[in-house]
Amino acid sequence: MPIVHNGAVTSCVFFAVSGNSYSAGTFISSTVGVPALTHSFCKQNNPAVQTMDPSEVEFLAEKEMVKIIPNFSLDKIYLIGGDLGPFNPGLPVDVPVWLALNLKQRQKCRIVPPEWMDVEKLEEIRELERKEDAFTPVPSPYYMELTKLLLNHASDNIPKADEIRTLVKDIWDTRIAKLRLSADSFISQQEAHAKLDNLTLMEINTTRTFLLDSLNCMYKLRSNLQPGSNKGKALDY
Amino acid sequence: MSDVLSDDGSDIHQDDSLEEVMTPAELIAKLEEAWLNEKFSPELLENKSEVVECVMEQLTHMEANLQRVKKGDVKVSVHRMEMDRIRFVLSSYLRSRLQKIEKFFPHVLEKEKSRAEGDPSLLSPEEYAFAKEYLANTETYLKAVALKHMPPNLQSVDMLKAVPEPCLDSFVFLRVKERQDNILVEPETDEQREYVVDLEEGSQHLMRYRTIAPLVSSGAVQLI
Repeated sequence: MPIVHNGAVTSCVFFAVSGNSYSAGTFISSTVGVPALTHSFCKQNNPAVQTMDPSEVEFLAEKEMVKIIPNFSLDKIYLIGGDLGPFNPGLPVDVPVWLALNLKQRQKCRIVPPEWMDVEKLEEIRELERKEDAFTPVPSPYYMELTKLLLNHASDNIPKADEIRTLVKDIWDTRIAKLRLSADSFISQQEAHAKLDNLTLMEINTTRTFLLDSLNCMYKLRSNLQPGSNKGKALDY
Repeated sequence: MSDVLSDDGSDIHQDDSLEEVMTPAELIAKLEEAWLNEKFSPELLENKSEVVECVMEQLTHMEANLQRVKKGDVKVSVHRMEMDRIRFVLSSYLRSRLQKIEKFFPHVLEKEKSRAEGDPSLLSPEEYAFAKEYLANTETYLKAVALKHMPPNLQSVDMLKAVPEPCLDSFVFLRVKERQDNILVEPETDEQREYVVDLEEGSQHLMRYRTIAPLVSSGAVQLI
């Protein structure tokens, strides 16, 4: 199992796990902002291009639709990304999460939690997730982000908010543990392809930098070991 | 979807420069796809300048329309928020392209040089100018700081060799949009054998970029 170590990387630490649900230690060494000239000439392949910030995943999650009950009336809004409304007091209407949260902050609506955000349903999912070895389908491709966003900004509209928070965190933890195990076997068996159905973007994102960089490093080492192969040369500056 | 701006009755689709008819919503989806692909692919992808131009056009039109709406309208703030979100994606997309150009400039320019007549260019005209200028500035700087103090036989540097190439063997995560059969997976070690996989629609995979690079540019898979 992974060892939690205070920032120091020991040889067998596969994933440094922090208590925070999102930042699973893989974003520590972000190299964004390195002056162009130094990184062009440095020997390592700068991974900065291939990364995504958790906040950007959250940005994508904010496009998901959620039901709100407005307390104002407004005609249809013709946004570039589609039409919204019309808004009538007391009548539920679908809007993207970013708008729902904004209206909520201005106290202009009540948010109806998505169907899956329900203690019983989540308990079922948690049990299934613990029982199965593979990843089970999640209720929403952005379940973690949506839970976080809605519970942080509209917890008064969500019944049993604390229980839901714990349940979702449990599901997340179980899945991340599975992800670590499968990443471990992927590396030790030197696989070249893996199928990752049912994994969400945020989950992929927590391991992305570390996993991809490790794979690249190992590939470099391996291709230099095999004599006669010129695969490694391109990387050997 | 009805028109974005039917708010005040004007139509902006007539001058759409995209060949196929696309709703603004589809256009934004295209931009987001391009953004994620560009973010995660190890090499510079083909430029999507028509998408960028159309999005810019949409934003300018919307901006102009908002000028005409009277102040204090609730709608304006909603429109502004949406525009800010689109602008964020747009600039993040362009920025990640510039980062790649800065990182791989000699190779990008080399590829541009060897491009056959009629093939679509990897770079937009602005990006091309940027890359050329970047190369010139780098060379001048290197000369001024280091090379001119070197012995004469060491005063030249081949940028193509000095700057790392994009590593096409990197692994990437991807989601399949159109089913693909018989994708050849090369073995990691000599003891293993190569094998084929079928990529089913909607499935997600982790594999080497080199194997699926053509599928990214054709739009059959989406990097995630």
